[in-house]
Amino acid sequence: MTLYPHKNLPAITNNGDCALDIRFSDSPSKELSSIIIRIREKILQLKLSGIIDIIPAYQCLTIIFDPTHCSHKMLHSILSQNIDIVLKNPLNTKHKSKLIRIPVCYEERYSPDIEFLSDYTNLSIPEIVRRHTANHYLVHMLGFTPGFLYLGGLDPKLYCPRKDTPRTQIPAGAVGIGGRQTGIYPQATPGGWQIIGQTPLKLFQASNSSPFIADPLDEVEFFPITRQQFTTLAQVASNSTPRAITP
Amino acid sequence: MSIRFVRAGLQTSIQDQGRPGMMDWGIPWGGAADPLSMKIANLLLDNSPNNPVLEATLLGPRIEFQCDITIAIAGAQFTTMLNDSPIENYKTVKIKSGDILDIGRVISGARTYIAFPAKIEIPQILGSAGTHIVSKFGGLNDDAIRTGDTIDLINIRPVRELALNKNFHLIYTNQSQIRIVPGSESDLFPETLTAQFYKTTFEVSPQSNRMGIRLSGLKHQQEKEYEAKKVPMISSGLYPGSIQVPPDEKPIISFIEGQTIGGYPRIGHVIKAELHRLGQLKPSDKIRFQKINLGEAKSILKKKRELLHQLQLSLGKHEKEFLIL
Repeated sequence: MTLYPHKNLPAITNNGDCALDIRFSDSPSKELSSIIIRIREKILQLKLSGIIDIIPAYQCLTIIFDPTHCSHKMLHSILSQNIDIVLKNPLNTKHKSKLIRIPVCYEERYSPDIEFLSDYTNLSIPEIVRRHTANHYLVHMLGFTPGFLYLGGLDPKLYCPRKDTPRTQIPAGAVGIGGRQTGIYPQATPGGWQIIGQTPLKLFQASNSSPFIADPLDEVEFFPITRQQFTTLAQVASNSTPRAITP
Repeated sequence: MSIRFVRAGLQTSIQDQGRPGMMDWGIPWGGAADPLSMKIANLLLDNSPNNPVLEATLLGPRIEFQCDITIAIAGAQFTTMLNDSPIENYKTVKIKSGDILDIGRVISGARTYIAFPAKIEIPQILGSAGTHIVSKFGGLNDDAIRTGDTIDLINIRPVRELALNKNFHLIYTNQSQIRIVPGSESDLFPETLTAQFYKTTFEVSPQSNRMGIRLSGLKHQQEKEYEAKKVPMISSGLYPGSIQVPPDEKPIISFIEGQTIGGYPRIGHVIKAELHRLGQLKPSDKIRFQKINLGEAKSILKKKRELLHQLQLSLGKHEKEFLIL
């Protein structure tokens, strides 16, 4: 009997000459993310030689390896067996998940694309802010750049396309929407999302003992702040860990 | 015992093996953009292969030495001068306190590596001395070297004179053919777009950096709607060498400080054996892609490793896999 609640077994596909993808066709969900994280932990426990990185994503787990240490074929069969083991074991849902509250300034100078979003969605700017701050978002995984949180739970009314050509520079803390996703850019990088606000918090501090503000399966909530509050919080954020800040 | 940067150069940074194994935190490998050249420079000094080095890019630094030391340079060819005399890559170079090393401008390739038989005194951040230039951490003061900066070198060792046989010198041209294998989404691209991709000679854009090598757009026979937009996509792990095609059809080769999860469909992946070449691409270089299969990729990697083994033997280095790719 399988306890896996989803209908489709994942496919294992080649992702270049040094990686395999385990791809699920089910939609992103908390359940699927828990399964992906558990498969990742299972593979780590095997301590296979030549495994370099294991990257979880919404519907996919990518295993990067050294092809001189293990072949695609051998790894493929090891993965199949272990996926099976994970899917046949009961889900341990007792994950200690945290709620992280993140201040965001949605005012004009921090939200270059909010008018585009307003035109695209036919929602007023205050309505966009209300909807964006209304939900708890699930942290599916970290990735993209150090400390970026992939969040699930965006209001479908706020879905909008990415930019056709990514911007070459987006400021650290920028809050954006791309497709069905919302998130915060932890550092100044290129990016293709529509920018609707900015947080003064630092999402990644390399020299801290815990460099990130959240782990996979935590929850995040945004709350709006003014420009003045942004300035004050930015000063606090540069001197302390972001977890300590509350409205 | 230190060296001072009279001129920092365009982008000079301390690099090593980087931080593999942290992609699930969003931390890309980083480290030397051309790890092979870094390792050859270290090999000439009998260092460990990933001993931290200086990576110079396009316009190199001008360095004043405040110690006697023997160094080695490997990688791209620059107009390098020691005081008033030109010096060559791939051999040990004796330097006296007070000497000025000017790496100069690049002639071929993009990045060159300066190794020291010493320890660069900087803290390890997340297990590496390497500079993450995009996210600003590691290296000297969390960034590339600035003019006026000083680096302390400790435990300087004497080293014997050594030069790499010319047969093993890497030659870089501004026209590369790069071999790639298909990936998870390659078959989802429209055939016309894929055919066009392999026919196009791309130009490396000046917006390229350690995060990604951006290319000019696909050449179309006639004006028509972009097709890359239609390729279905789920985000998955992205690593150096993955070639994403965004809707504007200007491919981006993910590089050593690239994002760890990709949102644009990937048409292929640069094979592992050729990843080090990406570090030597510079703006305006022309590149074409050649599609091969996994078996071919594996045998190319094997051949290249054999060649590198010969290279290290020629320098009297017998330990296995010193120059592993």
